[in-house]
Amino acid sequence: MRIALAIARKELSLFFTTPWAYGVFTAMVALSSFFFVNLLATFQQVQEQAREVTWPMMPPDMSAYRNLTDGVMVQLWGMVIVVTLFVAPFLSMRLFAEEKRNKTFELLMTAPVRPIEIVLGKYLGGLGIISATLGLTLVFPLVLSAFGHADSGTALEWSTVLLGYGGVLLWGATCMAVGMFISALTESQMLAAFLTFAVLLPWMMLSGVAQATEEPLRSVLTYLSFDAQLQNLLKGILDVQTLVFFASVIVFSLLLTHRTVEARRWA
Amino acid sequence: MAMIEVQHLTKRYRDRVAIDDLTFSVEEGEILGFLGPNGAGKSTTMKILTGFLPPSEGVARVGGFDVFTHPLEVKRRIGYLPETPPLYPDMTVHGYLKFVAALKRLPSRELKAEVERVASLTGVTHVLGRLIQNLSKGYKQRVGIAQALLGSPQVLILDEPTEGLDPAQRAEVRALIKGLAGKHTVILSTHILPEVTMTCEKVLILNQGRIVAYDDLRKLAGSQGTSESASLEEVFIKLTAA
Repeated sequence: MRIALAIARKELSLFFTTPWAYGVFTAMVALSSFFFVNLLATFQQVQEQAREVTWPMMPPDMSAYRNLTDGVMVQLWGMVIVVTLFVAPFLSMRLFAEEKRNKTFELLMTAPVRPIEIVLGKYLGGLGIISATLGLTLVFPLVLSAFGHADSGTALEWSTVLLGYGGVLLWGATCMAVGMFISALTESQMLAAFLTFAVLLPWMMLSGVAQATEEPLRSVLTYLSFDAQLQNLLKGILDVQTLVFFASVIVFSLLLTHRTVEARRWA
Repeated sequence: MAMIEVQHLTKRYRDRVAIDDLTFSVEEGEILGFLGPNGAGKSTTMKILTGFLPPSEGVARVGGFDVFTHPLEVKRRIGYLPETPPLYPDMTVHGYLKFVAALKRLPSRELKAEVERVASLTGVTHVLGRLIQNLSKGYKQRVGIAQALLGSPQVLILDEPTEGLDPAQRAEVRALIKGLAGKHTVILSTHILPEVTMTCEKVLILNQGRIVAYDDLRKLAGSQGTSESASLEEVFIKLTAA
């Protein structure tokens, strides 16, 4: 475990010493802010409209806009998920591909280190990187709670917001696990990023495909889609099934990565 | 018992044979020079000995442990400098050596002293704080050697350790390696022939994956049908001409 931590620490310190990290941070915050401002504008519009005609007269699908939590934060987390889908492949691509290109993989593989320690170390490092990146989006609920008002109670319902954020982190962790496996397959970082994206995007959109199919295939596809799995968590509803699903995807990706690293010994 | 034992070692990449039925052994404290033209299989043999590549056939043992079945035991005993020094360009020399020391499971108490020891042995003490990417090729090579020496492993496998160094640095590294004899068992590959004459006791010449000569340096000149006074260079050219 000490070795795994040493590898994770190395990943993190390398990440923060390169300009890459700050580029990714900027992209993350810039894209999320764009959506945040849009959501705020819509929220304000609906509120003004409601003030004129009163809430009972509004269309029922507008009811989410009655408070900042459902009207802004839940939807913002939905957008952050999409941004993460684009950003995470660029974070995970380095994990193994760079070591192979740099020939430093030889160092890891000839040191008295077990493959499982390499994989865990790399993944922990990856988790640190994605958490740091996603941690920046916490600035949005903080801004809302500082400047927002509600008719009753606090501006934000923090339990909902934080559970949604947990969903975002879980999604980030999943992207990194899948991305790490793909990174272990190739020497080229660009290829790793592209393939990760090509795997995650259709997987995310599986629920759309499910709509066009018959039962029982529809239930299976819906269950497997990231999008459908995340829906409840983002709304602040804790669902054990979702946790089990994402944990399985992560563990399975780690196992595949371990196999890939281990397979070198038989290549 | 021999420290390194290799028997009938063969490595094939699909239908290309990289090394073919190598058998040799290195006694404890001995320095073996690996010679051969480019592509003769020197690096492949070293990669198998360090457990980076699996052999297609044959057995390699280090300190009595089979490289394939007990990789961790073997890796614990080996310090390895690959052909391309495995460096992280964005790390400082000090950070890098500390990381490798952790990989080698050195106790954290001794870590600082050990990093300082190998740094002064290889003459990189004054660049410890610099980023590896800003170092000259010679210093990068020395950091690579320093990394292999961390934890003073019983066996050192050095793939072209003097590559990229200027003549003065080369002499330093040669002296360093010579000083390791007795305490460490060393396999050293090179295509700079005087290197071998100056540092090694035994020589193994590879050509196209096969052993063409494997003997004491002194005996080698006489045994190959060249005159007693033939230099290693003449022997090398004669043997690898085929």
